[in-house]
Amino acid sequence: MSQSDEFSSGRRNFLLQAAATGAASAAATTVAAAQGTTPAPPATATPSVTEVRTEGRAGSDYMVDVIKSLGFEYICANPGSSFRGLHESIINYGGNSKPELITCLHEESSVAMAHGYFKAEGKPLPVMAHGTVGIQHASMAVYNAWCDRVPVYVILGNTLDATMRQPGVEWVHSVQDAAAMVRDYTKWDDSPVSLQHFGESAVRAYKMAMTPPSGPVVIVADTELQEQPIHSERPLVIPKLTPTSPPQAEAGAVTELARLLVEAEQPLFIADRLARTPAGLDRLVELAELLQAGVVSTIPNLMPPVGAGRMNFPTRHPLNQTFRVNAAIAAADVVVGLEISNFFGATNIFVDQVERTTRPAVRPDAKLVTLNSTDLIQKSNYQDFQRYAAVNMALTGDGEATLPSLIEAVRRLLTDQRKSAIERRGKALAEASAAARERFRVDAAHAWDASPISTARLAAEIWEQIRKEDWSLVSGGLSGWPVRLWDFTKHYQHLGVSGGSGIGYGAPAAIGGALANRKYGRLSVNIQNDGDLMYAPGVLWTAAHHRIPVLTIMNNNRAYHEEMMHIQRMGNRRNRGVDRAHIGNEIDNPGIDYAKLAQSMGWYAEGPISNPRDIGPALKRAIAIVKRGEPALVDVMVQSR
Amino acid sequence: MIRPSKLVIRRPSIAVASLLLVVSLGATAQAPGPTAAAGNAARGKVAYFRVGCYQCHGGEGQGSPYSSAPRLGPAALPIAAFTLFTRTPRLQMPPYSPEILSDADLADIYAYVTSRAAPVALDRLPN
Repeated sequence: MSQSDEFSSGRRNFLLQAAATGAASAAATTVAAAQGTTPAPPATATPSVTEVRTEGRAGSDYMVDVIKSLGFEYICANPGSSFRGLHESIINYGGNSKPELITCLHEESSVAMAHGYFKAEGKPLPVMAHGTVGIQHASMAVYNAWCDRVPVYVILGNTLDATMRQPGVEWVHSVQDAAAMVRDYTKWDDSPVSLQHFGESAVRAYKMAMTPPSGPVVIVADTELQEQPIHSERPLVIPKLTPTSPPQAEAGAVTELARLLVEAEQPLFIADRLARTPAGLDRLVELAELLQAGVVSTIPNLMPPVGAGRMNFPTRHPLNQTFRVNAAIAAADVVVGLEISNFFGATNIFVDQVERTTRPAVRPDAKLVTLNSTDLIQKSNYQDFQRYAAVNMALTGDGEATLPSLIEAVRRLLTDQRKSAIERRGKALAEASAAARERFRVDAAHAWDASPISTARLAAEIWEQIRKEDWSLVSGGLSGWPVRLWDFTKHYQHLGVSGGSGIGYGAPAAIGGALANRKYGRLSVNIQNDGDLMYAPGVLWTAAHHRIPVLTIMNNNRAYHEEMMHIQRMGNRRNRGVDRAHIGNEIDNPGIDYAKLAQSMGWYAEGPISNPRDIGPALKRAIAIVKRGEPALVDVMVQSR
Repeated sequence: MIRPSKLVIRRPSIAVASLLLVVSLGATAQAPGPTAAAGNAARGKVAYFRVGCYQCHGGEGQGSPYSSAPRLGPAALPIAAFTLFTRTPRLQMPPYSPEILSDADLADIYAYVTSRAAPVALDRLPN
């Protein structure tokens, strides 16, 4: 029976019975309330409706059937009374399977786990939370997901009917419009007033979230709908989910772009959130090789880092020009931004001195082109859309979905004469790329034996231990060293950054990514910033409790160094020096013992390690634990950058 | 909430180009300033950390791709160029005036970064 069919034939009968019972109950209650008396017991032995203490199928059972129809593997939640009906239905009626409830200790952790999970699995993971205090905790993580175009699926409990609220806490945990506070940075929301309404909106929310440009959605599950017995007079149906095909750029514009690329002397692609799926990576490789064009896939020193949103291109591919990005951009005569929000930042140089200035990073004659789906949805209040980029061509459509037609158009236009010129270009780019790689290996060889340990040395030590494994970097940039020193080839090997640069993302997103990686047997690697972990360290317990294997290496540099540099800039600019820049920024005196913190929540952990020669053996021991299916942490005392 | 940094020097090659320009200017500068011979590496280490050089350039002056801060040692610019760039930096580096970083401290810092260990052989790095 298809999803669009009625709930089920057996269930239909049950529903009809429930409807009759419910209607009768409702009628009796209404009459009693009108009379202001307790209804007299009926003549039969059937108990009065006011004496009913148990019930059959509840509305939240139907909600679970809808949720199951969407194929969710897990659902994250910190428990809350406003979704107690749904919680109970998931674990009992639903058998706590598909979705399995993941216990989280903070709603921000729930959403960030869902964020990381999606980027590893390509499917959303729903989150349940209070419509008031829960979504307030979760809102930062929702904003990160919005900026990172990740379809987080949030279900909020709320009691809209004021007469049904228990006096006290239920009032302060109720709200007129639960989704209002995140509406500026969610793609869609609804507050259904009937079960069938819930079913349709829940499926619509999934479609909306997944259709590029993807984004978080909110669906409100009213407590009365959750907890009351099903008494719909008509059979409830579960609407069929029909995924929406992603939008492609207009065919004429694609042909025009292909012509521009074929005729260009130095075309360059800058890809950010392009590869939604592994196919996106493959298509970009195909296009780049066809044109022998350079690709920049990460500019980590832009904030947020451009290109770090997804794993778009192999780091050691000869056409990867990421590590000579400035020269590549300056030389390009055609620059194509692929699913990049900050195209202005990528093509201009901004200087933060007393007078803030901007100048182009590209040739005056360079043709600038964008291929973005974000033009299809932009909101006004939050400014994640970045500065307006004046370009020569702007193609609106999903980048990954448009690549096949762009590749075809390029193939049609390529002549033999152009092919030979293109081959020469490819060789030159490969040589430049190899030289850049050699330069940063020399950079990494400096401060090799330093203590605190250099970020390059730590990245190299981790690489030595994981390079023969099926690994996945679930979070952590370590000053850009992993993308320089490691051989990234697969889509799941780099899950990217937070999107909104909201601290507190790293730890839960890593564990969400590791949850997705678990069934594939991948070694999930998390390079964990210390300040980030301390936002909501309880997620470590979640990983231990649910046996989510992840290797976490603490990037323990004992300060919010980014912020310290801001204070340094202010102090110097005002001629007051930087001697006191640590005030308000350091996470030291006392230093936090991250190994003990992790051990207290059931992790294997060791450290802090300050001798670089001790890193390798410690990682070996930790990886052995992770391969047993448990989380492990190695705390390393690292330099600031 | 932590806000994204605007501190970073975005374009390493341009930073280097600026540095080279400063080198050429510095070579002709006649103003008195710190001299390499006057520096003390031990004192320089203290000053290096006190005034926050390590934030962008790393604890050993090795530089960082994250902040696009160039490597300072052990092979370094001539001290005149080093001084000129520190006093009047281009791009994102915050300026260090003599009021907040004396010539003596600067000479010590120069001694510190130029006394750092040479890089290890590249075959020590995993491929």
